[in-house]
Amino acid sequence: MKRQKYLLNKVAWSFFTILFVLVLNFLLFRVLPGDPARAGVRDPRMKQEAIEAIRIRFGLDKQVINCFESLNPIKVGSCTVNPFDTQFFIYVRNLLQGDMGISFHSNRPVAEILVERLGNTVLLIGAGQILAIMLGVAFGIIAAWKARTAIDYAALLSSLLAWSLPTFWLGIILLFWGSGHGLPIGGKATPGTSSLPFLQQWGDIARHMLLPTITYTIVYMGEYMLIMRSSLLDVLAEDYILTAKAKGLSTFQILKDHALKNAMLPLVTVIAINLGFTVAGALQIEAVFSWPGLGGAIYEAVVRRDFPVLQGAFLLIAVSVIIANLIADLTYSYLDPRVQSE
Amino acid sequence: MAVQTTELKPSVPSSPLLDFWRVFSRNRMALVGLVMLVAIFVGAVFASQLAPYDVTTSENITINDIYNPPSSTHWLGTDDAGKDVLSNFFFGARVSLIVGFFAAFISVVIGGVLGIVAGFYGGRVENLLMRFTDIMLVIPDLPLMVVIVALTKPSLLNIIFVIGLLGWTTTSRIVRSQTLAVKSRKFVLRARAIGAGNSHIIRHHILPLVMPLLVVNAILVISLAILDESTLSFLGLGDPTALSWGQMLNFAFGRGAMSAGAWWALVVPGFGIVWVVLSLTLLGHGLEQVLNPRLETHHLTPGRPVIRSEIPWRQETKKGEAPILLDVRDLSINYITEGKPPARAVEKVSFQLHEGELMGLVGESGCGKTTLMLALLRLLPAAGQIVGGGAYFTDKELTAMSEAEIADVRWKGISIIFQGAMNALNPVRTVSDQIAEAIIKHSPPIPRSQLDARVVELLDLVGIAAQHKDHYPHQYSGGMRQRAMIAMALACNPQVVIADEPTTALDVMIQAQILELLDNLRRKLGLSIIFVTHDLGVVAEMCDSVLVMYGGVTAEYGDVDTIYNAACHPYTQELLKAFPDLSNPEKRLASIPGYPPRLEALPAGCRFAPRCPAAFARCASEQPALHSLGEDHFASCHLVEASP
Amino acid sequence: MTQAYFLEVYNLRKLFRAGRPGIFSRKARYVHAVDGIDLNLKRGEVLALVGESGCGKSTLALTLMGLEKPTDGKIIFDGEEITHADDRTCKRLRQRIQMIFQDPYESLNPTQTIEEIVAEPLVVHGLERSAKTRQARVVKALEDAGLKPADTYLRRFPHELSGGQRQRVVIAGALVLEPNLLLADEPVSMLDVSIRAEILNLLADLRKTRQISIIFITHDLGTVGYFADRIAVMYLGRIVEVGPTKEILKNPQHPYTKALLSVIPVPNPRLRRERVILQGETPNPIDLPSGCRFHPRCPKVSEECKVSDPAWREPAPGHRVACLKV
Repeated sequence: MKRQKYLLNKVAWSFFTILFVLVLNFLLFRVLPGDPARAGVRDPRMKQEAIEAIRIRFGLDKQVINCFESLNPIKVGSCTVNPFDTQFFIYVRNLLQGDMGISFHSNRPVAEILVERLGNTVLLIGAGQILAIMLGVAFGIIAAWKARTAIDYAALLSSLLAWSLPTFWLGIILLFWGSGHGLPIGGKATPGTSSLPFLQQWGDIARHMLLPTITYTIVYMGEYMLIMRSSLLDVLAEDYILTAKAKGLSTFQILKDHALKNAMLPLVTVIAINLGFTVAGALQIEAVFSWPGLGGAIYEAVVRRDFPVLQGAFLLIAVSVIIANLIADLTYSYLDPRVQSE
Repeated sequence: MAVQTTELKPSVPSSPLLDFWRVFSRNRMALVGLVMLVAIFVGAVFASQLAPYDVTTSENITINDIYNPPSSTHWLGTDDAGKDVLSNFFFGARVSLIVGFFAAFISVVIGGVLGIVAGFYGGRVENLLMRFTDIMLVIPDLPLMVVIVALTKPSLLNIIFVIGLLGWTTTSRIVRSQTLAVKSRKFVLRARAIGAGNSHIIRHHILPLVMPLLVVNAILVISLAILDESTLSFLGLGDPTALSWGQMLNFAFGRGAMSAGAWWALVVPGFGIVWVVLSLTLLGHGLEQVLNPRLETHHLTPGRPVIRSEIPWRQETKKGEAPILLDVRDLSINYITEGKPPARAVEKVSFQLHEGELMGLVGESGCGKTTLMLALLRLLPAAGQIVGGGAYFTDKELTAMSEAEIADVRWKGISIIFQGAMNALNPVRTVSDQIAEAIIKHSPPIPRSQLDARVVELLDLVGIAAQHKDHYPHQYSGGMRQRAMIAMALACNPQVVIADEPTTALDVMIQAQILELLDNLRRKLGLSIIFVTHDLGVVAEMCDSVLVMYGGVTAEYGDVDTIYNAACHPYTQELLKAFPDLSNPEKRLASIPGYPPRLEALPAGCRFAPRCPAAFARCASEQPALHSLGEDHFASCHLVEASP
Repeated sequence: MTQAYFLEVYNLRKLFRAGRPGIFSRKARYVHAVDGIDLNLKRGEVLALVGESGCGKSTLALTLMGLEKPTDGKIIFDGEEITHADDRTCKRLRQRIQMIFQDPYESLNPTQTIEEIVAEPLVVHGLERSAKTRQARVVKALEDAGLKPADTYLRRFPHELSGGQRQRVVIAGALVLEPNLLLADEPVSMLDVSIRAEILNLLADLRKTRQISIIFITHDLGTVGYFADRIAVMYLGRIVEVGPTKEILKNPQHPYTKALLSVIPVPNPRLRRERVILQGETPNPIDLPSGCRFHPRCPKVSEECKVSDPAWREPAPGHRVACLKV
């Protein structure tokens, strides 16, 4: 019973956070200086009617929110605008219908562009994260087990170094080195490969994914290794490890049955908190390697001042991270029996 | 009633600051980080003097100057605008450092204030602030920064504010949890009891203990801010008039450095970023180690080898006595710390445990009793080392065994009930799992149902109902957990059970229950028990024989009646006097002046001499041997030497 | 005309809310930490408050100190009712009522010097503005607490001292304001046996020389024998027996007191005696048993115990028991 309440709480809270992000997103793009329609449209050939059409489409001619003036305590009772006719409501309505607007740059629906790219980002982040977690956990365990030996110090220093590298710079260096060794210099696939059979097509994609994934893995592996090491060191100093040793269990058994599960818990929390940061990493990597993902979409939108795409991409990323966080929270509650009975 | 001050460290005039520097400089990571940081700081401050070229003008720059490789005129080559990379490097350091420090300053101040307010005042305020922090934590940082800067002016001031206003989340969380932790400590309660108000408590108690963490976190935040600025600049959102390292990379990357093969334009600025961030990371990590020293050894750290010595032969069982199960002979154990003389935790202790016997091992904190017990099963911490003597369990010599052999003896031959059962059981596994694990390890495979039945049987033996078997330790009360530990200790039908202070920290009534349980179990199962405690009264109730330890050596050893009614060692006598006697409640309680010796600085002669009412000249210079007083009664005191 | 009693407590109750009230919660549940305590104390008298964990003794101390606000009842100190004292009165009272805590390792702020710790009460109350006079008072307090020569301790930090020395520092900190009433919450339970006596003797001496009244809270009946004038036994938020020390120790009436006394280990193997070991654990103070609170564990329980809450009986002058069987 208590667990259900806990889960419900978490879900409700995530929902509220998404709402907050919606409002934030909306406000950022409406309230920050400049008429987005005019500011974004650089194309001098665009006619006045077209600009007007955009404004109507986005409801830019309506009130921003309901009765902004009526917040002024002097002017009471003069509010005549229908709340449903406000910009915010139109924005939400459009969103619910899957309409995120039209790209200033390509004139395609934003939603369409982003959905294509979402998959690519998930592919890249997914591969990178899985590798980073596996390697980070493995090295973290070894470092903790062999604490204060040469192996530990080497692992510690290399993790600290990896953590200190700016993601985009590591990407640049690897790209530079890679381009001199025949690896592709960007993109997801060589043009013209989409018609090839499955294996060859994905082989090509894999070649394109190689450097970006390595970059991603190096950056995050360092952090996971540090956390795993720290967490495992704490666990291995606990009394119940001594009890396990006193029972005659071997080092391997103790690590497997007693230490790891306890040490993984903080890691799950950190991975969850990190999801926001890993998206930042994705953004940088996709920019450097021209990978057609959400991060790349943001980068290109910034360069081109394509605000609808920027807004849509940001929203999509934020919502994905919130949902991923929720999943991580729920997973944690299943792993730690102390959680539900508080 | 004066108290000796011999235990205080010699008074060396030192300020806390000097002490701190001493410890700090010993930490290599922190020192290297600091040096690296100072170096780049100097480079930034003296950029105008260090830069060989003036990068503000474009005079004398022709198209041939673009992307020149490193040469004698340009040590690090030229960039996309023909300017000297090395000079730009120094000026770029300025921008990156300025943005980093100021943005971090904003973040840390916001985070620190929010954290302390939330943690200290609690209630709705805390709830609101923490919810807000949680939201901001979840929203991905960089995309948000990108969006905001893209929509506003990309000026340096702007960037500083954006990074600063979004970077406080980790700080506030850390400060809040530290504030909460400090707030609940007893000295804060004491301050309130004195009458201190909130501001006094925050200033004198919360802040000093939050500051160290805040400093470490601030260093981390600075490094993140510098990374953020570099990233934003690289993405084209930097201030084009302020050539930070990130901006240099933006230009290089976007203006064909790769295709021109101008690796120097790409490597040098990045190297600068890595240098600064690495220095801060090393400094931060090192500082954290200094402020929160963690031993970094744990229970799985390999132990030290046993130093072999001449072990006396096993004592033969006398006629008519129960067989001797455990024969400890002159066992000595040291604790080794780097740069200090070894602490002689246990020195030449001997005792014999017969079948069915309950021996009490009595001594106060630091006397070595737990060390002695751990050594028997070779469970000493990494710093511990057996340096002499031996121990026989039945006919096997424990100190000579390999790791595999001793693992066999553990739990099956000798088991331990640890004190403080709170953490002695793994909190994320069920109690029955942990009991079953021991059974599985030491017996041939048995079917699951039989295993479960045995677990239930064991729990029943200690008075825990079967329905609790699949619960977790935190769902048990303190008394129940101790019983569960006992059940687990009996799982493999050991011959000897060591109970290490099993009732300390339990209420008197629960204590009595546990003691009664142990006594019943001993009779029922024919166990031999070593009961480690500091409570003489408990020992008198239950034990057959008593070993009194002081400062790592045997003070007195004999059967319980002799010890209590005919003690010979002054320590035993004084200890008995210090015990309240309810049959004579008005008697003024005796105490032993002074404090137990520090194991790293043991007195030259008898370890009890500084506190002994009967000490004389010889006691201070010569350590007494263990003298036999007949009938298995031993005492280590010069005064008893004369007795036959 | 001086009052008979220095401290009077009538029907003191302190309840805590159990759990957080949810949207769909049923009737609120409370932790009955202190549930109807009557106490009185003369000047210079020592009252031992004995009970196991969860009986509410620490909460009682905190409530008497004003660190918790009473839910019900009256507290009268030196003739003045202080039950709902405002902040200013509370602060003034702190100079007269002081507390000593159980854990000498946690009661002292590790970043403060001994001088700062003992001087803190003076600073908080704005007494002794000059650093010199402050230090003089600190030195006196340290010496009264047995730490001589006091000036060697002034610049030390807590981690440099042993447990016994730290506890003396705590006592010095309590003495520096020259209080009239001392609440000592298990001051020796965390110290080695051979050191306990010196702290107890110190408190006994202070009582004699300064006429300080002391409420001595402990779970160990053994330590209070020579030191306390009267003993009160607490169970689940109530006092079940109270009376002169000698009387209670020689002639306990309440089954709980008898059990407690019987399980105290006697350091003499020839005197191994019959112990009354109560089964089970103290029930939680949220769902209280009906009738007499002790009935689920009482070896002498009968039907009427499950129904009626016993009133006070007085088998000897000054000796009161709350039990139907007396």
